[in-house]
Amino acid sequence: AEWRYAFEEALHEVQGVFATKFKEYIEEHSDHTVTLFPFGTLGESTDIMEQTQAGILQFVDQSPGFTGALIPEAQVFFVPYLLPQDEDQLFEFFRTSKAINEMFPELYARQGLELLTMFPEGEVCLTTQQPVMTPADLNEVKFRVMTNPLLVAAYDVWGATPTPLPWGEVYGALQTGIIQGQENPGFFLESTKIYEVTNVITCLGHNNFTTAVMANKDFFDALAAQDQELIRSAIRHAFDYILDYQRGLHEESLAKIKQAKPDMVINILTEEQRQPFMEAAAEVEATFIEMTGDSGRAILDQIKADLAAVR
Amino acid sequence: MALSLFAIMIVLLLIGFPMMIPLIAAAFAGFYALFGGLGQIETMVQQMLAGIRPASLIAVPMFILAADIMTRGQSAGRLIDMVMSFVGHVRGGLAVSTAAACTMFGAVSGSTQATVVAVGTPLRPRMLKAGYKDSFILALIVNASDIAFLIPPSIGMIIYGVVSGTSIAELFIAGIGPGLLILVVFAAYSVIYAIRNDVPTEPRASWRERSVAVYRALWPLGFPAIIVGGIYGGVFSPTEAAAVCVLYALLLELVVFRSIGIADVYAIAKSTGLITAVVFILVGAGSAFSWVISFAQIPQQILTAVGIAEMGPIGVLFVISIAFFIACMFVDPIVVILVLVPIFAPVVASTGLDPVLVGVIITLQVAIGSATPPFGCDIFTAIAVFKRPYWEVVRGSPPFFAMLLGVSVALIFFPQIALFLRDLAFR
Amino acid sequence: MNDSAAIGAQAESSLPGLLGIADGIIARIESVMLAVGVLLMAGNTIANVVGRFVFMKSIYFSEELNSILIVLITFAGISYAARHGRHIRMSAIFDNLPVPARRATMVLIAFVTAIFMFGLCWYAASYVMTLAGRGRVLPALQIPVWWMYAWVPMGFFMTSLQYALTGFKNLISRDVWLSTLVPEGYEEETGHG
Ligand code: NA
Ligand code: NA
Repeated sequence: AEWRYAFEEALHEVQGVFATKFKEYIEEHSDHTVTLFPFGTLGESTDIMEQTQAGILQFVDQSPGFTGALIPEAQVFFVPYLLPQDEDQLFEFFRTSKAINEMFPELYARQGLELLTMFPEGEVCLTTQQPVMTPADLNEVKFRVMTNPLLVAAYDVWGATPTPLPWGEVYGALQTGIIQGQENPGFFLESTKIYEVTNVITCLGHNNFTTAVMANKDFFDALAAQDQELIRSAIRHAFDYILDYQRGLHEESLAKIKQAKPDMVINILTEEQRQPFMEAAAEVEATFIEMTGDSGRAILDQIKADLAAVR
Repeated sequence: MALSLFAIMIVLLLIGFPMMIPLIAAAFAGFYALFGGLGQIETMVQQMLAGIRPASLIAVPMFILAADIMTRGQSAGRLIDMVMSFVGHVRGGLAVSTAAACTMFGAVSGSTQATVVAVGTPLRPRMLKAGYKDSFILALIVNASDIAFLIPPSIGMIIYGVVSGTSIAELFIAGIGPGLLILVVFAAYSVIYAIRNDVPTEPRASWRERSVAVYRALWPLGFPAIIVGGIYGGVFSPTEAAAVCVLYALLLELVVFRSIGIADVYAIAKSTGLITAVVFILVGAGSAFSWVISFAQIPQQILTAVGIAEMGPIGVLFVISIAFFIACMFVDPIVVILVLVPIFAPVVASTGLDPVLVGVIITLQVAIGSATPPFGCDIFTAIAVFKRPYWEVVRGSPPFFAMLLGVSVALIFFPQIALFLRDLAFR
Repeated sequence: MNDSAAIGAQAESSLPGLLGIADGIIARIESVMLAVGVLLMAGNTIANVVGRFVFMKSIYFSEELNSILIVLITFAGISYAARHGRHIRMSAIFDNLPVPARRATMVLIAFVTAIFMFGLCWYAASYVMTLAGRGRVLPALQIPVWWMYAWVPMGFFMTSLQYALTGFKNLISRDVWLSTLVPEGYEEETGHG
């Protein structure tokens, strides 16, 4: 059969690489074909999600930041400093987490979606015009964030002025100075050229951008067991590939930026320097529980237990 | 399938249906064919709404509102009087000023539609009075607004940069040369047009008259100051600049000049809303149609058939130009960039073409396409704002297309038009 | 409502009696939505600029509010435009036909357009209900997404009605009518709508 798979990034970015690996595996091991639809070709993130729920698309990659509007618990991935900064621990967590592999699938199923996997896309770093060594350095910095209540809360407690802006306007706004900062994973800072219009990259280890791949549930449930297993194998194959692909990707992206723009300042904050950011952000966790209630608390507790197991 | 969709569209268009129906019917037929029935029409509605939802689109109603307030009041008249006191005695001077105003306004606002409205609303009546034919005026305004896409900031270039991984800063600089070249060519044509049609000139104004005109225009000169200073000074985005202009226009006309009243403001707002609706329903219908084309992978099929892989660099550039031009005649420019750029990426890389040059060429074609019949948001905007029939808006366009085509070909054979400034700045 | 408002409303409709008054009231509502929607959009955007620049505080829901207003304006406006014959069309061939052929073509155009608009009304309503069932919210305002689209089926329905009435008007009249209110050849000074 012909299956369709849409995602939120360009073909050469992390979600695109994952989708390509998935497609290659399926087409090599079966007679099925997979057509890929990168960012924007079928609409925005919420559009491709709805199209998957409607059964027009069979597979979709949507990040929990967007899914949060539909499944509030998914915003747990925006709780600062929840995920470990160590790569091995992080990868092991995504492999083994009970929250991801057992609890989230139930929440997604209620929206007609079969959650196939979640994976990290890379550490999120800040780009600004002035160095950011303490939360005080963010004071009154107009900082573009995704329209997401938890992100807004985090930058609020750090003293910045969180400013929602459509992604298409970010480059121009940084250039003219309407905003002075924004955050994104390392590969994205490089691929979208956003470094051209900022001076400083600061990594304070507060988050790793997480994304999720899912299928339309009716479609998936109606498949023969053999095809379901094929899809699961393809996902495992792409998952292993993408973790491997990511080893060093972050550093590589930062190096490429440094090469393209030698006077770029790149600050990786030390454990000690991160402490004040961590302390200030602690209250965001409470905001998350306020927004999502018992169900959110259960997910959060389970994630913490899963993390304790891999540490 | 592609052929029958285009056939449906053209036939309904020619019969004289409201323009939304050809687009809606073609999208509808596409959904019917793709999903074997009416089961997925909800997604068509979704895409119509997705087309009008982007918050950055509000620059259009805001500039319509500001321009209408300025024109009904005194601001626009005073600004134009000032310009006329300097160029009124030159043949074609007003037309050249209009083209230059489109370039400047388009440069900062980044929106071709907003340019049509903001420059056209005050200047068209004055050009009519000066003796230019309406078909020339409309074509000049619609086509000169194309330049908005080439001179930074340009949303088309940003999207191309992101999709193709090309430096946006380099694209921005490379767009300036071709943008100015188009302005020069249009200006030359305007002068020739004025001489051949014997458009009368005004007597040369004295320096005393000029200083009076400048003095009278001091308040309204705040508009360019707000737009240019506000955007490049980092106070607000182009979209927000539009709303700030509304505020300034209200302040001038209601308080300073006292030329309009609250009831007028209400009436102008209502008319703005009406024009917005008439244009945006077409933007929505267009994006539903674009979705069908993208989902059915129609561009991919056509390009494979053309055999682009065997062509040299010049051939590839021609195919790219033609593909983007034709696609933008029918489909939303942003979707065209998102869908077509990745398809061309491998062949661009293998022929060793400079991606910045390719980006500028694509942006130019996208701009031309949005001013080219049958479907183009600039044409729709002009029809809705100036209340002229479709035919009259497009009738004067052929000479402009010829000039734009000339610039496109020149760009392919003399890439330095675009790359000269880029090399100066970056190499 | 008082008498003068009723008369004003009547002027916006071509239907007789109570229907005319109801239709006129709807026309009034549409025109108020257009004007107020545009002014609110300006106010909201300006407030955001002032907030960010003066008070160092962005209105985090500003964008969503503008999207809501844009949908409102568009779908109040398509019906209003249909009443006033303001939808964009390419009439070069149409204009050169003899009157009977123009009238027949106009009947065809009006009814076919009405059918399409009614179809979209139907599917827009079903889309809104699907959205309501899923419960997605707007990320900043945290209100259900379907609220912002609730007016959409209504806008399509009113537009459909206007075109259907235009079709009937052309059937029973000897002139050609572009809309229920606008006969052909009449240059409406619609600067004021
Ligand atoms: Na521009
Ligand atoms: Na076009």
